[in-house]
Amino acid sequence: MLESVTASHKVPTKLVKKSTSQTKYWKPYQTRWNLISLLTLVVAFLENLLVPAQELVNNVTYRWFLVAYFAYLTIVYVAGAVVHGKVRLYSGHFAQLNASIGILLVIQDLLTEKYANIQQPFFVSFAQILDQMKTDHALLLASTWSSLGLWLVSFVIGTIIGIALGLFMGRYRQFNYWAFPYLKVIGIIPAATWMPLTMVIFPTSYLAEIFLIAFSVWFPVAFMTIGGVQSISKDYFESAKTLGFSESQILKKVVIPGALPNIFIGIFTAMGLSFTMLVISEMIGAKVGLGWYINWAKGVGNYTQVYAAIVIMAILFSVIFSLLNKFQEYALRWREKTN
Amino acid sequence: MVQLAVENVDRVLDDNNGQKINVLEDINLNVGSGEFISIIGPSGCGKTTLLRLISGLDTPEKGRVEVDGNVIDQPDVSRGYVFQHGSLFPWETIKDNISSGLKATNGRNYDKKLVDHYIELMGLKGFENAYPHQVSGGMAQRAALARSIVLNPELLLLDEPMGALDAFTRADVQDVIQRVWKQTKTTMILVTHDIDEAIYLGTRIVVMTPRPGRIKEIVDNPLEFPRKRTSDEFLQFRRQIQDKLNF
Ligand SMILES: Nc1ncnc2c1ncn2[C@@H]1O[C@H](COP(=O)(O)OP(=O)(O)O)[C@@H](O)[C@H]1O
Ligand SMILES: [Mg+2]
Repeated sequence: MLESVTASHKVPTKLVKKSTSQTKYWKPYQTRWNLISLLTLVVAFLENLLVPAQELVNNVTYRWFLVAYFAYLTIVYVAGAVVHGKVRLYSGHFAQLNASIGILLVIQDLLTEKYANIQQPFFVSFAQILDQMKTDHALLLASTWSSLGLWLVSFVIGTIIGIALGLFMGRYRQFNYWAFPYLKVIGIIPAATWMPLTMVIFPTSYLAEIFLIAFSVWFPVAFMTIGGVQSISKDYFESAKTLGFSESQILKKVVIPGALPNIFIGIFTAMGLSFTMLVISEMIGAKVGLGWYINWAKGVGNYTQVYAAIVIMAILFSVIFSLLNKFQEYALRWREKTN
Repeated sequence: MVQLAVENVDRVLDDNNGQKINVLEDINLNVGSGEFISIIGPSGCGKTTLLRLISGLDTPEKGRVEVDGNVIDQPDVSRGYVFQHGSLFPWETIKDNISSGLKATNGRNYDKKLVDHYIELMGLKGFENAYPHQVSGGMAQRAALARSIVLNPELLLLDEPMGALDAFTRADVQDVIQRVWKQTKTTMILVTHDIDEAIYLGTRIVVMTPRPGRIKEIVDNPLEFPRKRTSDEFLQFRRQIQDKLNF
């Protein structure tokens, strides 16, 4: 056995991670702002309680929401005051934002249910929306599940097709020559254009919806994947060859990871388009889902229900976005952080 | 490998204006088992081009490159290649990079002990799970070296692996290469534009001249091991090579 190099690098200094929470939560911790944000919630509660309403609204859910929000912030702030580190950074960073939310809650409540300054019934108070969500929770939950399932299936199908086509077009000239011109012409057509046809072509509306959403996804993914493959340095392919990689190993170990940063750009672009297509296709073709719920609520003239569905979508799509973002961070952890 | 033979090789490439230029002209070189060949010459004289022909990444327009009588026309694991810029896979950890060739050729049952051995030998312990951008340039080059040497090649081609390193790190990596060469008896061909490096490591020095790239002279290195960069013999031989490079 050979003896080791006399390298003095015993401690992996460069591996000591610069705290990411430090750069992410950059606003300094100030007790003042923590207290102000709690105060705005107290004001919101008292305002809702004391200012007489113009119309009949059940405010119980809203008040419970305020109490829960207040309790959550208190816990976070107390934890931040006691424990140092990430919790403290987090609790300090968002204090000002929380204060702004409290103020906005007061303003919207006054403008809608208290003084009806803005036109009813098209604008409703957050209290009404929450009450509606509570009354309608079974149907809303079912609609949310249905939308989520439809989106997930379609998005995964579209992404897989997009990545596969992109990898082949990026890697193989022959395939690129024959497929790219046709796929480009087809892919550039907005998915919604196919709606009238899919309604009659597909045996069920569910299949038609899957097709439409997947269609909105595959093209941006494929397009970015091609660019990703073509941007991979020739050195990596040549290294792979001198290391004895077979073609399938090159695909798995060089082409896919090398194109991954671009693939994610495609996936995030496609995500926005897929949400659009999900709602549109549910509004037009479906008997279930949040898009259908909105359309049905509009039909019966209940705009509070429309808002309820919008709020749920905002939450649902934000969660999907954050999860994808986390997944991207993990999958691309080998990249040098730029900040 | 018993014998590498480069015979009457020309490499003709298109320049930016579509003109044909002879990057290499009439290259002849025979390398026997266990030798350490240093190829030295100014930038742009065709050193990389020649190394690529030997590896099989490119094929010559004229002439032949053979190992033991077999024409080389594609890369092979028996000929390791350490690229000028290392080219570790940035998406794999140091350890995964070093084992990548073994995994590719032997599947899951590759020799993990061998990988650990070279991680230890190359001074990379503690950095197994680091990604290439997290380690220093010297470490990255040692890892690239380990990735090739772990495959036990008959011939190892080194394209200025120390080119981007500072003087201290460079001497460190040179010693690693020399130690590996002595212990494994792998035939090595090193491309460099550093005269000291060529002399310190090579058993023979190939001096190249540019436009067109030709071999001017092949000089036997008379220096015994262990070599000292500051000894009189070293400096004298260095002057001799320096004179051949001034044209
Ligand atoms: N693919 C190529 N096409 C055209 N000219 C090239 C190509 N590769 C290298 N050359 C030219 O060949 C010459 C030798 O290049 P190279 O072998 O990289 O030199 P060295 O490694 O000695 O610095 C240079 O003048 C370079 O411009
Ligand atoms: Mg070169």
